[in-house]
Amino acid sequence: MAVDELINYITDEVRAIVGAQSPWVEACHPVEPSEVRRFFQALMDPNPRFWNEDYAKTTRYGGVVAPPGFPVHAFRRPADDLNDTLAAAGDPDFDGVSRSMRPGLPKIPLALSGILNGGYEYEFYSYPKVGERIRCRSTYRDIYQKQGRAGPMVLVLIEDEYATADGRPLLKSLNTMIMR
Amino acid sequence: MPVPANFEAISVGDEIPTVIKGPMSTAHIMRWSAAMENWHKIHYDWRYATEHDHLPDVLINGSWKQHVLAQLLVDWVGETGWLWKMNFQYRGMNVPGDTLTAWGRVTDKKERGAYGLVELEIGLKDQNGKEGSPGNAIVVLPRAGGPAVPYPFDPAVLG
Repeated sequence: MAVDELINYITDEVRAIVGAQSPWVEACHPVEPSEVRRFFQALMDPNPRFWNEDYAKTTRYGGVVAPPGFPVHAFRRPADDLNDTLAAAGDPDFDGVSRSMRPGLPKIPLALSGILNGGYEYEFYSYPKVGERIRCRSTYRDIYQKQGRAGPMVLVLIEDEYATADGRPLLKSLNTMIMR
Repeated sequence: MPVPANFEAISVGDEIPTVIKGPMSTAHIMRWSAAMENWHKIHYDWRYATEHDHLPDVLINGSWKQHVLAQLLVDWVGETGWLWKMNFQYRGMNVPGDTLTAWGRVTDKKERGAYGLVELEIGLKDQNGKEGSPGNAIVVLPRAGGPAVPYPFDPAVLG
């Protein structure tokens, strides 16, 4: 048995952050028509409910809406955040993204650098309209260890709840992140 | 726009209309990455992707693939049904040159209160038929002569 199969990554320190919940965090700007356009153009899904106001008014949404999973990507770097996320780009090991899993959640105290996205479970309630503000609250639902083919891995289950600023639920997701 | 799903006419085993994307190119990947402000180098820096991360090529974004699955289901249920739940696993990598087909097959249907629930197996296959994002979904449909599925959707209406 390899030595790393014996390592228990689920220390008391790791266990202590299961259940940790972020405050509601609001996206730095309301849903903008141009970001909806760039989203559906890159998705190649020109459904008129994303851009045609006359059509969208006749639907149950009452106006132009963003695609169902849009809220997941609504959280961008705010204009007043002067910390350039690409500041480390000179480092040949820098992968281009921040290591923080969610704003407002504590970092996972683990010396594992590989992170893979294992997948999602989504539950949808409504779609954000152009001009609405989106909020998100994240919770560590579980953190546990599993033996993979290439050695031990730690699975992190993160629940994200998305709602409009006036409290209308948009969607809920359960994301499995794999650290190894 | 495909013909919206009709609960009464659906049978277990039915295949729903597919959504096909591709062939995907590095430009498609860059367009999505830029729209999402996702600067992960595995999506555009070939040397980083292959030499540092030992990947076969730059990768098509998983974040993009999930919305293709949502599009598949939302297009099918139309403006009277509702995509309620969807899950999938990221099992396979996709690279430039791939053409992806989002597919769904009905695995169960049942009446719940005034509405119809349809469960499906879903996925995203490449041009060789290799499945990379297998999952499941549940959609809610109106029944013949029944009320429209309420919007915003509240699962409590299912009783």
